[in-house]
Amino acid sequence: MIACVAVIGHQNNPLYIQSFTEADDALKLHHIVHCSLDVVEERVNNPKKSGPTLNETFLGLLYPTENYKVYGYLTNTKVKFILVTTDLDVRDADVRNFFRRFHAAYVDAVSNPFHVPGKKITSKTFAERVSNIVKSFGLSSAG
Amino acid sequence: MAREVSESCIDSLLTEMVSSYCNRFDANKPELAGRRIEAIGYQVGHQLAERYTMERPRFSDHLEAIKFICKDFWSEVFKKQIDNLKTNHRGTFVLQDNKFRWLARMSVDPSIENVDLSQDTSALAENKATQAMGMHLYFPCGIIRGALSNLGIPCAVSADISNLPACSFVVRIKA
Repeated sequence: MIACVAVIGHQNNPLYIQSFTEADDALKLHHIVHCSLDVVEERVNNPKKSGPTLNETFLGLLYPTENYKVYGYLTNTKVKFILVTTDLDVRDADVRNFFRRFHAAYVDAVSNPFHVPGKKITSKTFAERVSNIVKSFGLSSAG
Repeated sequence: MAREVSESCIDSLLTEMVSSYCNRFDANKPELAGRRIEAIGYQVGHQLAERYTMERPRFSDHLEAIKFICKDFWSEVFKKQIDNLKTNHRGTFVLQDNKFRWLARMSVDPSIENVDLSQDTSALAENKATQAMGMHLYFPCGIIRGALSNLGIPCAVSADISNLPACSFVVRIKA
């Protein structure tokens, strides 16, 4: 299950952060997302470790904690997408697929002429779309 | 999902935008009008860059980003690539489009064209035509600047129309 997703701007400013847990642990999840930004930076500055393809947008598993796995994705425009999940066996393909759809939703949201670049995304459509993507995450592997 | 845009609509929209700013909102202040049109282009370019770079790896240097603008970005926007790219390897790039789509259907105001072609007035008419065309180039300049800025390359973009219908965009990257 996905615990939290986040979109972080190029100056490490949060653009969108949403947790999907019942418990009151939003702060903890935000902390995890915050910590992951350092790992993203490290990956980008030391590209050797960032997997087979150089400069790929998908950064893979950033770091595992006791209860969560944190995945990252960095676009050409230096916008970061972070995924925090509680599943322990996650397929890479699922995560890639998730980020692709998440990115597409983000692109549509910022293409709204009323959206101010660099400001938080307040669009309800975007929130709804993200929660649909989150709900459908991993369904293909489970079924 | 491919979406299509009517070319004549875009042409009309661009022409109307330029004429609104030049003749109505900021009449007699061509510089201000130019800046405003450029700002609209900037926003458009900013958003397009995000969309068109979605499925590709990140760029490792400036040249790669400029090449992306010349090839993929230009193809998406104008259905053709930039014809010639020159650089001095010190942060200045010249992107030449031999038949720039947005100038292809432009004609000069007949009231200027029909005046007696004595030496003086024809020079004046030419000057006016160049000026009018220049107004229409703020928008594409803004698009390029917006796209590059979003890719992390702050720059200044200007256009050169000394040999029409070719059009050159000069990109100066800020160090």
